Amino acid sequence: MNVRANQNFDFLILISVILLIVIGISFIYSSSITSTGAKVSNEFVKQIIWAAIGLVLMLTIILIDYKTLESFAVYIFFISIFLLVVTLLFGETVNGSRRWLGIMGFGIQASEFAKITTIIMLGTFYVKNSRNMTKISTLFKGALIVLLPVVLIILQPDMGTALVYIPIFLAMSFTAGAKVKHIMYIALVGLLSIILIIVPVWFEFIYSGNEAVISFFVNDKFYNTIFISALAIFAISLLGYFLTKKKYDYYYYFAYFSSIIAISVIGAIIARKILRGYQLIRLVVFLNPDIDPRGAGWHIRQSINAIGSGGIFGKGFLNGTQSRLRFLPQQSTDFIFSIIAEEIGFLGCLLIFFLFFVIIIRGYMISMSAKDLFGTNLASGISTMILVHFMINVGMAIGVMPITGIPLFFLSYGGSALWTAMISAALLINISYRRL
Amino acid sequence: MGNSNEYYSNRKETLKVRISFLIIFSLALVIFYSFYLYSIQVISGDKYRERARDVARRVSVIPTLRGEIFDRHYDIPLVTNVNSFAVDIIPAEIDFSRFDDIAAQLADILEINKNDILSRVTPRMRHQFAPVEIRNNIEYEKILVLAENIVRFPGVVWRSKPIRRHQGPGSLSHVVGYVGRITREELQILHNQGYTHNSILGKMGIEREYDLILRGRDGVRHSTVDARGRKVGDARRVIPPVIGQNLVLTIDRHIQELSEKALGERIGSVVVMRPSTGEILAMVSYPWFDPNRLYSNAGSQYFAALSADTRFPFLNRTIQAAYAPASAFKIFMTAAILEEEVFSPRQRIECRGRIFLGDRFFHCHRRTGHGFLDLSSAHAESCNIYYFIVGREHLGIDNIVKYTRRFGFGQRTGIDIPGEVSGFVPSPEWKLATLNVPWVGGDTFNFSIGQGFLDVTPLQMANAVSMVVNEGVSFVPRLLKEIRDPVTGKVIEPFEPRVLYQTNMRRETFQKTKSTMRDVVTRGTARVVVTTRATEVAGKTGTGEVGDDRSSWFAAFAPYRTDNPAEQVVVVVMVEARNEWEWWAPKAANVIFHGIFTNQTFEEVVACLNVWYLR
Repeated sequence: MNVRANQNFDFLILISVILLIVIGISFIYSSSITSTGAKVSNEFVKQIIWAAIGLVLMLTIILIDYKTLESFAVYIFFISIFLLVVTLLFGETVNGSRRWLGIMGFGIQASEFAKITTIIMLGTFYVKNSRNMTKISTLFKGALIVLLPVVLIILQPDMGTALVYIPIFLAMSFTAGAKVKHIMYIALVGLLSIILIIVPVWFEFIYSGNEAVISFFVNDKFYNTIFISALAIFAISLLGYFLTKKKYDYYYYFAYFSSIIAISVIGAIIARKILRGYQLIRLVVFLNPDIDPRGAGWHIRQSINAIGSGGIFGKGFLNGTQSRLRFLPQQSTDFIFSIIAEEIGFLGCLLIFFLFFVIIIRGYMISMSAKDLFGTNLASGISTMILVHFMINVGMAIGVMPITGIPLFFLSYGGSALWTAMISAALLINISYRRL
Repeated sequence: MGNSNEYYSNRKETLKVRISFLIIFSLALVIFYSFYLYSIQVISGDKYRERARDVARRVSVIPTLRGEIFDRHYDIPLVTNVNSFAVDIIPAEIDFSRFDDIAAQLADILEINKNDILSRVTPRMRHQFAPVEIRNNIEYEKILVLAENIVRFPGVVWRSKPIRRHQGPGSLSHVVGYVGRITREELQILHNQGYTHNSILGKMGIEREYDLILRGRDGVRHSTVDARGRKVGDARRVIPPVIGQNLVLTIDRHIQELSEKALGERIGSVVVMRPSTGEILAMVSYPWFDPNRLYSNAGSQYFAALSADTRFPFLNRTIQAAYAPASAFKIFMTAAILEEEVFSPRQRIECRGRIFLGDRFFHCHRRTGHGFLDLSSAHAESCNIYYFIVGREHLGIDNIVKYTRRFGFGQRTGIDIPGEVSGFVPSPEWKLATLNVPWVGGDTFNFSIGQGFLDVTPLQMANAVSMVVNEGVSFVPRLLKEIRDPVTGKVIEPFEPRVLYQTNMRRETFQKTKSTMRDVVTRGTARVVVTTRATEVAGKTGTGEVGDDRSSWFAAFAPYRTDNPAEQVVVVVMVEARNEWEWWAPKAANVIFHGIFTNQTFEEVVACLNVWYLR
């Protein structure tokens, strides 16, 4: 290691990561203590072991030049795809979905690691096609790469984890130089699909007004109306675009938006077929927890109660009542943020936010200053992944996002997620370390 | 690779802009989340702190026990509470991937249908901590088996849920009634008496009337609980439950059983009453029902079947059905004739079997006629012609109405169970006002022999006979003898007879009326069937005609002569016309009187009396 490299070593990320992991372990310990002082689980011991192995893993990854990953990208990617397939076929069923692959008594969540391998694969692909980034076909092929793990994960089924891949793909394409128009198209289709899935559910469970209005939106007629009108506008603007001599811009934009709407409707219809009733309710319940006070709404309420009752300074470590009394569901994994917020309060949460912010911003800056395109793609994908996990998990805990069971990186209990987070951080450090 | 790096450096500016965009997005997100967090943790912190406390503070109900109901002997309860168990599932603790299997095993142990469990607990409830009752009324033995295997059933819990057990004679169902969950309509009326939507409420009879005394008061435990409802820390405040008070009824279960069997499977009713106090010793209405089956798991089906039964098993025919009293009414006609002195009791009237009035003949039950009869013979033979003539020509309709009312007909007796009907006493004014038809002589004829518009309940009949027995006074019929403390057994509130009607009619009137009633048994219509020698029975038969069917009344008391009025009993038996005609009322009364005064059971009475109709 030379002096330059030492200067480049990103201690900020390393310190933030270690601090977050220590906080995480503390609160996993906290979550295992009941009000009577009894320890009901040894999760924190396991987490310590994973963190320790993870540190070794991090060190190893930092030492190997990330560029070697580029040549192995395809193999790594297909190994992870293979593991996803194996998970689907032989995985252990937990809560009705196959997410775990049992190997020698350990459960491995291949969908977590697959995020990194997909980022590596996509990063490599975009390097190879860097001249063609403005072409829609490049974006399309990139989407196919991402779609492979996404479909396998949806089949588990694990909507939440699958959903994370989409913003990663968009952000990586964005930084790799794809046309904003194209990225916007995909982003809008995704966003509109989600809105179109939610609208009928919202009208069915939350809206309390005119019966006729409800029946219109809940009925399939709603989708049909939008679809047919979107298709009509699309056809007319396409005709206009090709038949008129002057290529008016607005024909193009009419076609652009109407086709977005049409595709979103199809997406929404397919999603409604795949999603089960309780999953649909989970999508909207954060808008009004009262519609399912004993089910999904329970989680949101308890989580917000816990967070809100923390106040400015929190109730103190091991003094949170909501978690002590075990009102928080999955308090060591999905809802770890709630227990932290309850016990260390608003100021403590700001510290957590700051640590995440440091990692994410440093990650994006590394993406900007990486010595090569592969490093840029990798860092942007990883930073976005951490950002998305932070956004969805914290958003879910404070009640502004739908409930999707995805972990909060570095903090949540779970070996696969922790290692994925640590490997990601190590890769960021690695890229930063080897920049010019 | 080198090329791409070249290309890359050309586009460094674009990258900068795009990365900056992502950084700004991240910054905006963190700022938004910080502000949001600030609003819930700092601005609304107090609200959530309060909610957090509330969610863990649980007020749990310590269920009380409903009071027991005894008969007058206060030895074995007629209605008690038995420990039964309810099995609950806490959906959040169930492994839904194996739920089908768990449900099958559980159903096996509890001996119920697996689908019962699957339909009550659905995967939609998978996060619910509130227990769902899958079955109640489970025997202790099955709970033992469940307890032995509980490791196989995480999320399955049981709790004691006492249910009412009726163990007296089955015919007490109408008297005692039954309990059930309070309905929304009932709660609207009762909510300010301390009832909640979870309350169990008496639905009929004593359970209904004395619900407030029987129900006791649930205790309350304020405690801190965890999400699974487990209590943590000390119970901070406990208000112990108050057990419901015990009721001792005036019912004598031996007489009840005797009456029940004497009536047998005939649609009708029996009232046995102590005239000196108004205490009801037995009250039978057939068909009756089995409250224990209402509390069973098939309770709702049973309830539906009872409701659909055209014989109306829920009807307490002693107080909720009114019939024409037929010839039994002649008791009171006799008293009226004697009191008004409008016609000498010794003067005789010739019965030729029929009499012409207006445009038609009115018949006596003996078509060949009774010949010449004085009052006592007319009463003994139940001659219609005598009462037609004296009633219409000498007593007059106004007097008949007056005396009918005086004996309490047309008004509720005020017995202490709900649902009593008042019956009906017609009058010329009523007929003109409602039917717009003037009162005619034929109406008076019919009234005189207890037919026509007159409707009385068997209890009113018993009460009216009591007035005769008591020579001018009757008491409010009562089923409650006393209220006793459930722990010490001390009498808290004893029963005091309350006068219902008192008249200033002459004693001789009643004495003479009683003797004419005695004549019915010694030499009149009831002579052949009332065979008991255990006591001197006095009474009056009645045969009502409903279309081609005939109903049967017998209103009687015994002993006819006594120095101790407290030992007297009034028995009224009414057998509806829906049954096959067998003139059963006096026969049943015969059995009842014999049983009461010899202290025998029905079976012993049957053996002892050895009469043809009981063989």
